[in-house]
Order: sequence, then structure tokens, then C-alpha cells
Amino acid sequence: MNRPARVPLALVAFLTAASALAGCGGSGGGAAGEGSKTLSIATMTLPQSLDPKDAIGSALPFFQAVYDTLIKREPDGSYSPMLATEWKYDDKRTELTLTLRGDVKFDDGTPFNAAAVKANLERFQKGGGGQARTLADLQEVKVVDDTHVTLVLKQPNPAMLFYLSDAAGLMANPAAFAKGDSLRNSPDGTGPYDLDAGTTTIGTRWEFKRAPKYWGPKLPYDKVAISFFDNETAIVNGLKTGQVNAALLQNTDQQASVTGDAKLKTIKQEFDFQGLLLFDRAGMVTPALRDPRVRQAINYAIDRKTMLDKIRQGQGAVTSQVFGPKAQAFKPELDTYYPYDPAKAKQLVKDAGKEGFTLKLPRVSAIVSDALAASLQSDLAAAGIKLEWENVDQGTAVKRIFRDRGFSGMVMNMGQSPIDWVVVGELVLPGTFNMFGYTDDTVKDLLPKIQVKDAKDARADLQALNEHLVKDAWFVPFYRMTYLHVSDGSVTIKPQDGMAVPSIYNYAPARQG
Amino acid sequence: MLSFIARRIAAGVPLLFVISFVTYTLLSIPDIDVARQLLGQGAPNDLVEAKNKALGLDRPVLVQYVDWLAHALRGDFGTSWFTSENVLVAIQNRVPVTLSLMVGVTLVTAVAAFLLGAWAGVRRGAVDRFVQMFAVAGYALPPFLVTLVLVLVLAVQLGLFPAIGYIGITESFGGWLSTVTLPVLSLSVNAVAGVAQQVRGSVIDVMRQDYVRTLRARGLPPWRIVLRHVLRNASAPALSVLGMQFVGILGSAVLVEQIFGLPGLGSMTVAYTTRGDIPVIMGLVMVTVVLVVVVNLVVDVLIGWLNPKARVA
Repeated sequence: MNRPARVPLALVAFLTAASALAGCGGSGGGAAGEGSKTLSIATMTLPQSLDPKDAIGSALPFFQAVYDTLIKREPDGSYSPMLATEWKYDDKRTELTLTLRGDVKFDDGTPFNAAAVKANLERFQKGGGGQARTLADLQEVKVVDDTHVTLVLKQPNPAMLFYLSDAAGLMANPAAFAKGDSLRNSPDGTGPYDLDAGTTTIGTRWEFKRAPKYWGPKLPYDKVAISFFDNETAIVNGLKTGQVNAALLQNTDQQASVTGDAKLKTIKQEFDFQGLLLFDRAGMVTPALRDPRVRQAINYAIDRKTMLDKIRQGQGAVTSQVFGPKAQAFKPELDTYYPYDPAKAKQLVKDAGKEGFTLKLPRVSAIVSDALAASLQSDLAAAGIKLEWENVDQGTAVKRIFRDRGFSGMVMNMGQSPIDWVVVGELVLPGTFNMFGYTDDTVKDLLPKIQVKDAKDARADLQALNEHLVKDAWFVPFYRMTYLHVSDGSVTIKPQDGMAVPSIYNYAPARQG
Repeated sequence: MLSFIARRIAAGVPLLFVISFVTYTLLSIPDIDVARQLLGQGAPNDLVEAKNKALGLDRPVLVQYVDWLAHALRGDFGTSWFTSENVLVAIQNRVPVTLSLMVGVTLVTAVAAFLLGAWAGVRRGAVDRFVQMFAVAGYALPPFLVTLVLVLVLAVQLGLFPAIGYIGITESFGGWLSTVTLPVLSLSVNAVAGVAQQVRGSVIDVMRQDYVRTLRARGLPPWRIVLRHVLRNASAPALSVLGMQFVGILGSAVLVEQIFGLPGLGSMTVAYTTRGDIPVIMGLVMVTVVLVVVVNLVVDVLIGWLNPKARVA
């Protein structure tokens, strides 16, 4: 009877040997084996390339490691000098003059100057990248002298400083522009780190080592490693074993799995909201939506609180507005403007004479879970609206929705920028999310007033715009979703205003003891 | 034997062409808007169209395929649309990860399954029942559950192994062993259970053959009969199963690679197929087909070597 025990014993012996060898290896996985001077970040965002013209917001930390932006965005969203030390608008707000640092050079000795800014901005604008449209209002870049450059705008754009602190403001070495696509995997900027090509595996793990001649203040880590994962389970396991120092968790189940771990430190942030974006307010696809009462009915019919509790375990806050709490347009009372009132919803549909109309929406399973789909269907049915889901995969969905304009709206998660004009540009002005170009007299009256002022000075008009959008039911927001920044305890993380992920500058070693 | 190997390799060439054409066509059917995914949902239509044109997606599928084939025949599999990596380099970076799993699982399975199967087939009785119970349990346990339990207990709770990541064997042998041990164990439970049953059945069949009785009657030591005669004859069906499992690990590795955060071919296939990154997927499919052809050939050669009756002229 003793013999069968040999197999488990052999297994234990093997495991012990392997474990011991692991110790000899001096490392414990992808991120292990690195000193305390290495910051290991896990992400679920894959950068298309490391060429600034391909940069998008959620991948910005990859770019911030190797490129500086013209203007730095602090964690609270305020702007501070980086490659530009000063900036000033003219009275009409159509000319923005930047004063540049005169002591910065790229690695090959090419000076950073006004000509480099002009070359970068023009390349970004015409480069065909996902954020190229952010410079659509840029008419001309005038080089005044080596350290002064003027951006001439076609019309005032209150989000321009934000864009210059974001993807559009990343400055690459103009000498690399002539080398084809070299920047895609061999970035050349003035940033705090250099890409370590020897240890980087593109698509999996990018490693950045400190740039020896960085002009600015040193960041606290000698090395930064950003690893791509396609699921949060692995990220959570990495955080618990210290192989990952910092990550963002969006999934509420994964969030719950780390909140009980005393070693891990968490910070909450609300950035994305989930809701039904109605594109078809003109009733081009679904004529019933032309009537504001029908759109209001949809808002009253949705049981936001129950959806938030059941689908996201209460991690978030219900809302009826598309502007987030950091925006000037935000009004707290608008969060609860549409209480759950199925009787009122039904009456509004009846008053509009649209009882029983069908609303067909695309269903992308990654966004619309079974529970969310069923919840919306039953809520709308109670108001006399028949909701039909059409299952579409993520790849096909964008084509069917945005190019073919086959649907009246879609349920999606969307970032709530603290910059009001970014929200206006994405949701109110004609464009991707207002593909039918719908507008009305109130919006037409308010936008020109908002456009020519700083957001703080335009606060009253912005709030009037927000109130109008809510009351006229342009959209059907459900709730703002709480995301969790998690560190393994060795790192402090400062969430970044205007981004779901922290900037590369927002990490520091935690004080021990 | 050499002509057999040459014929099998030659048969693999048209297979590559057929599979490449079918795969390319199938990948083009979903009409995934790659450019929109690359540029973001907010990108204006003119930019999206320009991007599609730059990627060559505005051309008929057949033209796209011929273009891809012409480059592939010259060894140029292109670059990933989504990460700008050279396709061959990207695959080359991930092959060692998945190959570590495949070879590790196959070795563990071969040793453990042959030992358990032969033990059960020869000893029968309580030992046989124990092995059968293990095999049933091994089948019944969902692989993802085994994987999660191993990670949570041995990595997260006890800290014996890293929970995620991969270290190359050339970088550190100890590190490599530590990063592949748990994934290999996770994948081996099912495989050992299946192959052990196969070996057990074959051994029992062979043990009943007349020539085994004759060998016993001639007084040969039992260990020699089992090792030289029984296992050699019983190994052919088990080797076939092992060969199939070797290739099958490519599929089952997806989940394990995701849970352990291993940058292997399995997780790569899922991620890039979902996005519609045709150059990478085509490269992956070609590598997989070559792997399947080679493994099947090796298994056939091995079976023929072990059992001359099974040799094909």
C-alpha cells in the first residue's frame, strides 16, 4: 500500500526542485528579478506604434516615457511648463504663441526648437492618426524664432492647450521623419527614458531605461516596464505576488478580489460613463426619436440604480448628464434629473403617439452584458418601447454603426473629459458621435459664446448647454463607472485628470514603514 | 523511410497553399473595419478610408491574397497592423513560450502516462483501480479550475512560483523552470489522464497475446518482457494520442497563457484574430500548419521505429 504514495512524493520533489531553482534563477517571473528602481506597470492597452502620430490617449504612458509634450498636464489637470515654458493667446483666441526651452536636444544632437515644433505639429495633423482631428482647427504654424512659435487657428478652440499636453503635443526628433517608419518601433524623443530595444518585446513588454542626458527633473525609477495583458485575472495575480507594481482594474469582480488584500493599495477614480448614445435625434433611422418626449421616455424608463447595483456591484454613480464632475458644465442635480418612473415614460410615449415602436440597437457583447441587455429590454418594454438587439462583433460594429449609419444609437463606455470643449467636440458638434449632424437653436446660440472663452469664464453658458442636453434628452447616460488604481504597496499612484490611466510622472516609491 | 519522409513533406506544401487561401478568405468575410479600430471610433470617415487604402484593404480579396502570397514566398510576412511588429519576429518571440509548454507537457505526459498506464496494465487490481480513478478525476476536473487553484495556492498563497510572466531558458534556467512549471502542470493533468488510459488498455491487450505467454514460459524476467516487448507493441496507439495532444496543446494553451500572462502563440492567436490583424494571423496559421505536419511526421516515424509492423513503405 506504500507504493502509490511515490507518485505524489515525486510530484512534491519536482515542485520543490523547481521552486528552489526558481530561487537560484533570482527571479520570479516577467517582472521579477528587477530591483526596487524598476516600476512595473500592467496595461490592457496596446499601442499601435511608438510614433507620436499614432498616439491615442489611453496609450499615452508609453509615449510619455520617451517623448515630452509641449505642455505638461499635472495630476489635477492644471498645465505646467515642459518643452514650452510659456503660452499666451491673442485677444481673438485664434493665435497661440508658445515660448520654448532653448536648452533641449535630441539624442543625435538635433536641437529642439520652433522648427521642430512646426514639423511635429504639421506631421501629426496630416499623419492620419486616430487623434489627428484634434489639430483640425490648426491653420498654420509660424516660426517666430528658435524659441518662439505661433499656432494660428481657423477658429478658437478651448481644448487646444489640453491637446498640446496630450498626443498632439508629443515632440519627436524631426531628423527621424525622413527615415520612413523608423519611429514606430524606435522612438526618438527628448523624454525621461529611452526604449531598451534589447529587453523589449513589442506587443508584450516594453522596457524603458533612464535617459542619461535628460534635461528635466529625474523621475524616481531607473527603469519602467509596461506589460500588456489581455485579462485582468493575470494582472491581479501579478499585483498580489509583487510582479506587477501598478495597474488599473475596470472589472468589478477583479476590483472586489483586491479590496480585501491588506498589502495592496487602491485608489478609486470615475472616468468613463456608460450609457446609450442616441445619434438619431433627427429620426433618420428611427423616426420616433425625433420627438423629445420619446427620448425623455427612454431616460425615465431606465432603472439606473438597479443596473448599477446589479451589473457593477454599485461601483459608480448614476447620472443623466454626459459631462463629468470635473467639467465646468457639470451640475450635480442633473445626475438625478431622470428618476426611474416607468409610468411617466409610458405616458410620454403615449402622448407622442409612438406606442410600441421598435428601437434596434447593436449589441457588442464586450460592452453590453447579458444582464445589461435584458435589463434595458425589460425597462423599455414597460414603457411601451420594443428594444431589439442585433449582435455584432466589435470589428464589424464600428463599420455598421459609424460608416453605414445602420443604427440610431449604441450603448458604450466613454471617457468624461474634464475639458468641456473635448466633450462638446466629441458629442455635440457634428462628427463621429453626432454622425447625422443634429443640432438645435439653443445649441447654435450657446456654442459660439463658449468657444471664445476659457471654460471657467464660460461656466454659465456651459451649464446652460448641459442642462439643455439633459432636458432635451440628447443622450441616455446610465452611470459613471468607478475604476480602481491598484498598487502592490511599493508604489504610490496619483490618478490623472482627463485620463483613465495615470501619466508616467504620477508614480513614486511608497514610503516604507 | 527517406522517400516516405520526402513524400509526407511534399504533401504538406499544397496543404500550406490551400490552408493559406482558405484562411485569408475566411478572415476577409467578417468585414472587420480594421482602420476604424486603429484610428479609434471617433476618427472621421475620410481618415478611415485613407487608412484602409494604405493597408491595401480597398482592393479585392483575391488581389490582397496574391500580394500576401508573393511576399510570403520571399519570406516577407509583413508587419502587424496593430503593433507594427515584424510578423516573423513577433512569432519568433512567442514560439519559445508555447514550445516550452508543448514540450514540457509532452514530456510530463509521456513519462507519467506511460508509467501509470503500464503500472496499471501490468499490476491490475488495486493499482489499476487507483490509476483509473486518477484518470477519471483528471478528465473530470475542468482545466481552468486546475489552473486557477495551482496559481492561487502555489503562487499567490505560498509564493513558491511566479504567478505570471515568462523567463527565457537562455536568460535563466531556474527562472525558466519556475515560470513554466505551473502552466505545464495545469495542462498535464488532462493529458496524463487521457494517455495513461490509452497505455493501460494497450498494455492489457498486449499482455494477453500468445507471444507474451510464450516469453513468460521461457522464463524471461517480467521487467524485460514489459519493457522490451509489451511496451514497444503497446506504445503505437499511445504515441498517436500523444502526437495529437502535442498539437492540441496549441489550443488548450490559450487559457493557461492568459491566466499566467504568458506571451505565447495561444493568447497571441486569440488577441490578433479578434482584431482582424491578417498579416499576423496568416503567419501564425502557417507556423501552426508546419508544426502539425512535422509533429505528425515525427509520430509516424517513431511508431514505425518502435513497431516494424506499422511501417509504411
